[in-house]
Amino acid sequence: MEEPNVTASTIISFAKKLEEDSSRFYERLAEKFAENRETFLSFARESERNKELVARTYQETITDALEACFSFKGLNLNDYIVETTLTEDTRYSDGLTMAVQLEVKAGKFYSDVAERSKSLLATIPRAFREVAERRNGRKLRLKSLLDDTK
Amino acid sequence: MTVLEEPIKEVLTLRNYIDGEWVESEGELADVVNPATCRVIARIPISTRDEVNAAVEAAKKAFPEWRRTPPLARARCLFRLKQLMEEHFEELSRIQTMEHGKTIDESRGETRRGIENVEVATGIPSLMMGYNLEDIAAGIDEYLIRQPLGVFGIIPAFNFPFMVPLWFAPYAVATGNCVIIKPSPHVPISQVKLVELVDEAGFPPGVWNVVHGGGTVASHMLAHPDIKGFCFVGSTAVGKDIYRRCGETGKRVIAQCGAKNFLLVMPDADLERTIAACMTSFYGNTGQRCLSGANLVVVGEGLNEKEYSAFYSKVADAFVGAASKIRVGYGLDESVQMGPVQNRDRKERILGFIQKGVEEGARLTLDGRKIKLVGDWPHTCFLNPTVFEDITPDMTIGREEIFGPIASIMRARSFDEAMEMIHDNPYGNAASIFTSSGKWAREFQYRVECGNIGINIGIAAPMAFFPFSGMKNSFFGTLHGQGREAVRFFTESKVVIQRWF
Repeated sequence: MEEPNVTASTIISFAKKLEEDSSRFYERLAEKFAENRETFLSFARESERNKELVARTYQETITDALEACFSFKGLNLNDYIVETTLTEDTRYSDGLTMAVQLEVKAGKFYSDVAERSKSLLATIPRAFREVAERRNGRKLRLKSLLDDTK
Repeated sequence: MTVLEEPIKEVLTLRNYIDGEWVESEGELADVVNPATCRVIARIPISTRDEVNAAVEAAKKAFPEWRRTPPLARARCLFRLKQLMEEHFEELSRIQTMEHGKTIDESRGETRRGIENVEVATGIPSLMMGYNLEDIAAGIDEYLIRQPLGVFGIIPAFNFPFMVPLWFAPYAVATGNCVIIKPSPHVPISQVKLVELVDEAGFPPGVWNVVHGGGTVASHMLAHPDIKGFCFVGSTAVGKDIYRRCGETGKRVIAQCGAKNFLLVMPDADLERTIAACMTSFYGNTGQRCLSGANLVVVGEGLNEKEYSAFYSKVADAFVGAASKIRVGYGLDESVQMGPVQNRDRKERILGFIQKGVEEGARLTLDGRKIKLVGDWPHTCFLNPTVFEDITPDMTIGREEIFGPIASIMRARSFDEAMEMIHDNPYGNAASIFTSSGKWAREFQYRVECGNIGINIGIAAPMAFFPFSGMKNSFFGTLHGQGREAVRFFTESKVVIQRWF
């Protein structure tokens, strides 16, 4: 199967949207489930910071002389999208399960793009790795909350 | 396909910026066209000789006070300019894509490189320092002072509408000179937007001026006795002429000119990464940069015929395969990897080279004349990536600068043969080698007669704190743009020998 090349700007736009969507999702989760309101709100705030970090790093280091348009090979961005719609029927444990899935996919996305951007300036993969680690930390926290429901 | 919002919504009528004022020109107007959409986005005046004279007068008048302004205060204007450029980063970048055609990643990269030059120039209190030595004789000290000269003219090329003037202007004004920039008439909007920020940053009137026009305006500037020097980026023919005229009139000059850059692939190269670097090199900015790869030389050093044949095929197939997948379209679509060439005439010129290559017997492996685009855009300025094989260095397409998305793949049985190919070419702007061998890398950088060298780098673009070099028909002058050499170019070295009785 042909591996598409994804441009750097596509990756950055995707990351920004991922963080925006994540932030909104956790805000809704906080509204709906008071049990861990502060945790969810802190995740929402962290996603805003992640977005700023990724956007700033890109803006400060993008250069037309490196392989910005040709680095991100073999990525299908649809693979990293998770359905996170909360309905009135969504139970607390369902919300947490969705959140864990979101973090798994997001963490995978940032790890994958960090790996593929190694040949760009050092700050780019570092920023991606940093966000991947934060996402992984969230995943562990959410899994622990989910375990508490069982 | 999603196209980012265009920052230019209506047709702009551009004005000159002289003595801190926006001045309407009396000259005739020409269209500025977005090469992707073919829509007119601005009208640019071809300024008159009187308008050029007015700009020179304003700059000359501003110079005495500006040179007396402390370097730190001059640097603060640049700090404010840098901040404003950061705040307008996205707008500046999208304008470049609209007027030039390059992809948004490339435009953002260009904006960043422009800003980096402003950042480096803010270090002028250190960069401009002279030096001294006590007791060169009994009770006598000697020291060197760097002083600005006055008014400089900047005549940039069309291919980097935002960045190229910034290789020079920040250093010129930081050292206390005043500048007149004549943007390329094909892509003048970036400089207009930049000078809006210059105005906001609080540079005194007359320090930074913009006068629009084409060759006639450049000619008026060159003939003006009060302009002390010129920075030019463009074709070799024009650069040579400017160098000659400046020599006759005693003006300083930096003339960065054409190129025909060779990239060598050695048998021990990391092929996957080499090909990715080559795509940026040959097709980035649609091949319209003086650092673009033009000739890819597959070197068979140490291989027997059979091995070399297999190695050549592996490189050529990988190159053609990658080039054929490049997505071409409007640069404001973030998925696009290559935009149109900058205008219809340039495309016609490139088509002429393709035809010439076919006529001279080269093998057209990938024909970019078959247009395939992401999105529904007029084909007027678009070409897809083109690859020729079976090229020899004496063929027109192997020898002359094309300035478009065309790659010529060549064969060299040995490293020495590849070096000869490079040295037989009249240009000497950039050259790269892809290898895992320190020996070949060292040998290459030592021997090759080119100014900007890449070792496992496809675009050997010097950062703002290094000079942008060039040799042979690619550069005329002594000192180069950017960094410390630019500071030296824009200053006179005055030596004082001092004794007190």
